[in-house]
Amino acid sequence: MDGLSVGSLYALIALGYTMVYGVLQFINFAHGDIVMIGAWLSFWICARLGWAGNDAPPSLARAAATLLFAMVVCGTLGFLIERLAYRPLRSAPRLNILITAIGMSLLLENVGQLPIVFGTENQGMPGLLPKETLLSVAGVNITLIDVLIIGCSIALMAGLNHLVYSTRLGLAMRAASFDTKTASLMGVNINRTISLAFVIGAMLAAAAGFLYAVKYTNLNQPAFPTWILLGLTAFVAAVVGGIGNIRGAMIGGVLIGLLEKFGTAYVSSSFKEVYVFSILILVLLFKPTGILGSARVEKV
Amino acid sequence: MNASEDHIAAGAPLLDIRGLSLAFGGLKAVNEFSLALRPNALQGLIGPNGAGKTTVFNLITGVYRPDAGSILLAGRRLNGLKPHLIAEAGVARTFQNIRLFGDLSVFDNVCVACHLRTGRTPAAMTLAAPREDAPRHIAFRAARTGAHALLHMALTAHDLATVLLRTRRHLGEERAIRERALHLLSMFHLDHRKDELARNLPYGDQRRLEIARALATNPRVLLLDEPAAGMNTQEKRDLAGLIRRLRDEFRLTLLLIDHDVGLIMDICERITVLDYGQVIACGQPSEVQNDPKVIEAYLGEPMPHAE
Amino acid sequence: MELLATRARDYRPPTWLAILRGLLGPTIVVLLAVVLQRYSKSLFADEYRVWDDVLLKVGVNVILAVSLNIVNGYTGQFSIGHAGFMAVGGYTAAFLSYYGSFALWGDTMPHGGFLSCVSEPAEFVGRFADTGDAWFLLVLLAAGLAAALAGVVVGLPSIRLRGDYLAIVTLGFGEIVRVLLDSTEGTLSAEEIPEHSWASRAHYLGGPMGFFGQPFYTTHFWVWLFAGVTILTAYRLKASTFGRAFLAIRENEVAAQSIGVSTTSYKVYAFVISAFFAGIAGALYAHQLGNALAPSELCYQKSFDVIIMVVIGGMGSITGSILGAVLVTALPEWLRQPTHVWHVGLAMILVALAFSRFRVSRTVVLMALLTAALELMRFLSLHYEVNLERYRMILYALSLIAFMLLRPQGFFGVYEAWDAVRFWRLRPRGKTAAVGATP
Repeated sequence: MDGLSVGSLYALIALGYTMVYGVLQFINFAHGDIVMIGAWLSFWICARLGWAGNDAPPSLARAAATLLFAMVVCGTLGFLIERLAYRPLRSAPRLNILITAIGMSLLLENVGQLPIVFGTENQGMPGLLPKETLLSVAGVNITLIDVLIIGCSIALMAGLNHLVYSTRLGLAMRAASFDTKTASLMGVNINRTISLAFVIGAMLAAAAGFLYAVKYTNLNQPAFPTWILLGLTAFVAAVVGGIGNIRGAMIGGVLIGLLEKFGTAYVSSSFKEVYVFSILILVLLFKPTGILGSARVEKV
Repeated sequence: MNASEDHIAAGAPLLDIRGLSLAFGGLKAVNEFSLALRPNALQGLIGPNGAGKTTVFNLITGVYRPDAGSILLAGRRLNGLKPHLIAEAGVARTFQNIRLFGDLSVFDNVCVACHLRTGRTPAAMTLAAPREDAPRHIAFRAARTGAHALLHMALTAHDLATVLLRTRRHLGEERAIRERALHLLSMFHLDHRKDELARNLPYGDQRRLEIARALATNPRVLLLDEPAAGMNTQEKRDLAGLIRRLRDEFRLTLLLIDHDVGLIMDICERITVLDYGQVIACGQPSEVQNDPKVIEAYLGEPMPHAE
Repeated sequence: MELLATRARDYRPPTWLAILRGLLGPTIVVLLAVVLQRYSKSLFADEYRVWDDVLLKVGVNVILAVSLNIVNGYTGQFSIGHAGFMAVGGYTAAFLSYYGSFALWGDTMPHGGFLSCVSEPAEFVGRFADTGDAWFLLVLLAAGLAAALAGVVVGLPSIRLRGDYLAIVTLGFGEIVRVLLDSTEGTLSAEEIPEHSWASRAHYLGGPMGFFGQPFYTTHFWVWLFAGVTILTAYRLKASTFGRAFLAIRENEVAAQSIGVSTTSYKVYAFVISAFFAGIAGALYAHQLGNALAPSELCYQKSFDVIIMVVIGGMGSITGSILGAVLVTALPEWLRQPTHVWHVGLAMILVALAFSRFRVSRTVVLMALLTAALELMRFLSLHYEVNLERYRMILYALSLIAFMLLRPQGFFGVYEAWDAVRFWRLRPRGKTAAVGATP
């Protein structure tokens, strides 16, 4: 159960990687930091509004408001990042964009560390959601938080699925990911589509950040390796599912979440990163296109 | 080597391609392609857009793996070898969309290609060359590629030492390479721009530099993919002269793709025509020119069937 | 075919000349290292003693940047696992020098040796006849070899992976190394060592707290000797069949294969050579007084530091990597105590002008702006008494992005300082012939 809820978090983050990869063919290194910003923004707004005390009662309305706030701010941030840092490099070699993304990741982390932003202290996220155990099936505790996380993720992913597969915007997005140049010749507004991919990706990341904060309550300081590793694990999930493929990202996320939990439970918890990266290397070596991905042939 | 020279002397073709086929998904890009090039031949390969000409080149040079068929160079089987081993065996090529080393100088572009013939390539390499005819599991191929890379490294570790220690052998090789690169550049009238970056050259010079680079590998067979693309009439005429000269001076066997049928008719001794991946005609220019199937391929359906 | 091979044999220079030419570089390197070892302490006045330490750090970073440049710059493979190689080398060396010293001498103190004749006596422990320095040389080489082995392991996936994927895998390698080191236990004390076998000692590498107790052997001689060797290696590689093959792979892999370059093995080569020197840098880092040899110090952020050096300097350029290493290492010191920089800026503008043949290029404008920005920062920090060092990483990040947007090729691009001579010889020939270091 824990694995499922962590997996759905990974899936939410992986969607951001996969959408950006779909349209731009590059790994948005700063995506993991958007998750961090999302989590910290949730904390920040709670602290500002006085919801942070330990005595503050759990409240669904407050949780929803926090989530909405984090998503809106991160969406804007995603838009700005794409606009200011990535768009000018659209035609540059992909390596340059990768380096810019690394720079952006460093920037977000360290700006986040400034005392006037989030500071360098770890913080405890207020319990916005009740922590009670709903029921216990065969020794597995199902907590309300896990159910809410899974429900929330499923709702968001269903929304995204609808957007991508059943609307004109989604059609434009799929067209752009298939062939950017042709899509633009066919009248698709590429700039808007790419911006949209970033905004949606960042919003989902913010949601994941919020849910993560609610689940684990202990927020590590912005530049702590956990955040980058969270992002990377989600990236591995995207690769396992088949990068560029939205449904693949969902499957991959859940799969990695489960695997990680089982590995932690049955082998050792300190080697979490080792499992994740070993899976990545194995998938890349033996099925580089992932579970649902399709091969792209380089034209010579 | 001796066996193969005998093979040639017996009048057999230098490059012998039989029944080459490749399908992308359901599409047969090349189907039962056969071609025999005699030593010192100058052959053209033409066909409408998308006929599979470049795919044939990619098959010969190992960029793609054929589904069926065989490619023999002087009796030695090439298909299934990695592209760099095919280059080592003596097949060089140019590319339709120019693929120069843009950020290297013109001079270095040619120098890179000289590395094959300095007399150091270990024979064991060719012996241990993995063949990839049969489509095996990706894990197997990955492991074999890795093992082969390690073997190559083990066999060339000594070369790395000569480079790092600047031994006599290294210094001699560098000098010989420089001389040869300069010689090739001057043949192509590029020697005065040798220090410029390749990407800063004008288009026509880039095409010629690519040929010079291919020649630096000292090939027996040279494949030229649309060498005249984007050239004006005068440049094309010069190019035709150059190609003839190359064949004579380097004793090259040439296979040439171009869209300019006139140019191909003018310089090639024999022409193969491809359409939808299939050879539809092969013969001397005059024969091919009047072949009804060729006319149909180029001009569309013959009149009686047209609406 | 025979022609080139025969010529290559004919053109071999006489042995004495070859030996002279081959020894020229190494001699300069050794001399430089000896001079620094002897005079570095007197080079800096007492109030600048901190710069002596900075000079050591610069040396280690030069090794790191120049070696990373072989993979990232020459070969065009993007590795972000350099700190992983550093960690492999550093821990191998610390293991050997700590537990090995104990086995050799029964203690873990530094035992001097041949360096005593070129060091200031007051600074040196031991006598000429001691074998400590020789042992440290062996330790350094072993560290390099261990890292090179790791380089093979990381390099092999590069055969099948490109660009971003390779970057992630190398990053993953670094993190795996970090996690594994984190899971070890505290270093054994002198009393405990004899109770453990060699194999089980490998389990006591300090854990998250870091490795303690290794003797501090790292001095200017070792740092600059290996910095010189790294530079020399990079330089000799660049002008050889190996270096050209690396560059060809960076420029166009398909074309490189078409001229017979075995892209697979050259990629692994690049990783192995690069990892070897990263391992040595790690070993030097591990034995430097004041450094913490801890997994958290050698994680991906260290890799990012080295990447910043290479990117700012110019990927593919040795000179650029050196410059990047110097700038990135000196920057925190400068931020702590900002001094005037306009003279440095002016000198660099002049160099840039020389490259562009005295046209006011974009580079020159950027340099001027950069100098002005640094001077402004100095003024502001002194005026408002802000500790700039706190903003160091933000500054790095911003400069990385700014470089990508404004000058993606870094300061030097693919050129070297000594290419300037060649640019001077090239006559301007209209627009197509403008081959300056200018964009």
